[in-house]
Amino acid sequence: MTPFRAMRRGYEARFEPVERVVLARVARDVSDMLREEAGLDLFPDGDEPGFSTHPGPGKGQAWANGLLAPDELTDADLARLTGVTGVGRIPTDPAAQRLLPDASKDDTDIAAEFRRLTQNDVALAKVERLEAFAALLDLPTGEDAPSPLGRHGAPPPVRVPREEAEQFAGALTDVRLVIAERLGLKTDDQVMQLTDEIMWDRQAGREIPVATDGRAARRFWSGVFVAAGYAQETLMDVMLAELRGRRPPGSATASE
Amino acid sequence: MGSAGTAVEEDTEAVAASGVADPWVTIVWNDPVNLMSYVTYVFESYFGYPRVKAERLMTQVHEDGRAVVSSGGRERMEVDVQAMHGFGLWATLQESGARGAA
Repeated sequence: MTPFRAMRRGYEARFEPVERVVLARVARDVSDMLREEAGLDLFPDGDEPGFSTHPGPGKGQAWANGLLAPDELTDADLARLTGVTGVGRIPTDPAAQRLLPDASKDDTDIAAEFRRLTQNDVALAKVERLEAFAALLDLPTGEDAPSPLGRHGAPPPVRVPREEAEQFAGALTDVRLVIAERLGLKTDDQVMQLTDEIMWDRQAGREIPVATDGRAARRFWSGVFVAAGYAQETLMDVMLAELRGRRPPGSATASE
Repeated sequence: MGSAGTAVEEDTEAVAASGVADPWVTIVWNDPVNLMSYVTYVFESYFGYPRVKAERLMTQVHEDGRAVVSSGGRERMEVDVQAMHGFGLWATLQESGARGAA
C-alpha cells in the first residue's frame, strides 16, 4: 500500500490486490453484523420502514377494524404506524456496541431515548458507507474492465473522490473499531505495541501468514488493522491539508 | 483517568462563567483506535473549529480521557452526539451542571 495523495480527480493510493479484497470483505462483514445487531432488516425496503412481509391473517383470523392483533404486529409495522423509525434495540455484540454506543454513561433513560431516536439512522448510514467502501475497493471485473491491470501493468489505484472521502474515512474507522474489538485492543499502549510488531515484521520481510489457526489468524487480523490505519492516516493527512487550505489561517468559522 | 473529572468540571464552569445559557454539553471520550489526525479532522470539519482549538480538544481527549467539545440545548447536543457516533467517535451528552460520570 502506498500513501494517499491528492490528485485532480480525488485521493489516490495503490493497494495490493489482497489488501483490497480483504478490506472489502471485512467492510461487508461489518455491514452485515450491524444490520443484524441494529435490527435494520426489520425494514426490508432499506431506509424507510415499509409494509412488512409478514403474512396477513389466515383463515379464521379476523382483522379488528383493519388492525392486526397486537401479537401479530412486527417492529416494522409499529414503525410504520407510529412514525418512529428506530427500534432502539441495544446491540449485544461488543463491536456493534462500540459502533452504536450509549449516549450517556450513567443515565439509562437518556441512553435509551437517544437510541430510540437515532440508532436506526446512524446504523443505516454506516451500513451504506461500508458497502460503498467495499464497492470502491472491489477489483475491476467484467466487460467494462477488460484487464485488472492498468496501463503500466500495475493494478489501477484506489481513487476516492473528494465528495466521498469523509464516508470512506468513516468506513475505515468502523472497520478498525471492529477489528480492534475482536483483537481485544483496549489501550493506547496495546495498539502501539501491535503496530510496532507488525511494522517490524514487515521490515524484516516476514509474510503475513494465511490464517489457519488462532495465532495466525490473530497475526493476520493485526496486519489488516495496521494496513487500514495506514490508509486512514495518510488519507487524513491530505484531507486535513486541503480542509485547512480552504480557510484563511486563524479564521474562526466555529459554529458556536 | 484521574484528571478527567476535573477537566469536565473546569470546562463546565468556564461555560457557566461565560454567561451563556448552555445547559447541556457533548463529551468525546478517548479510545485506543481513533487516530489523532482523524479526531482533529472531525473537530475542524464538523464543528468548524480553527486548527488550534481542534488540536487542543483532541489532545485533551487523548491525555485526559475526554473533553467537552460543544455545549447548548439538549436537542442540539443530541445532534452533535449523533454526528460524533456517525464519525465513529464515542460521545455522550449530559447536563453541564452534572458531575462527570466516572
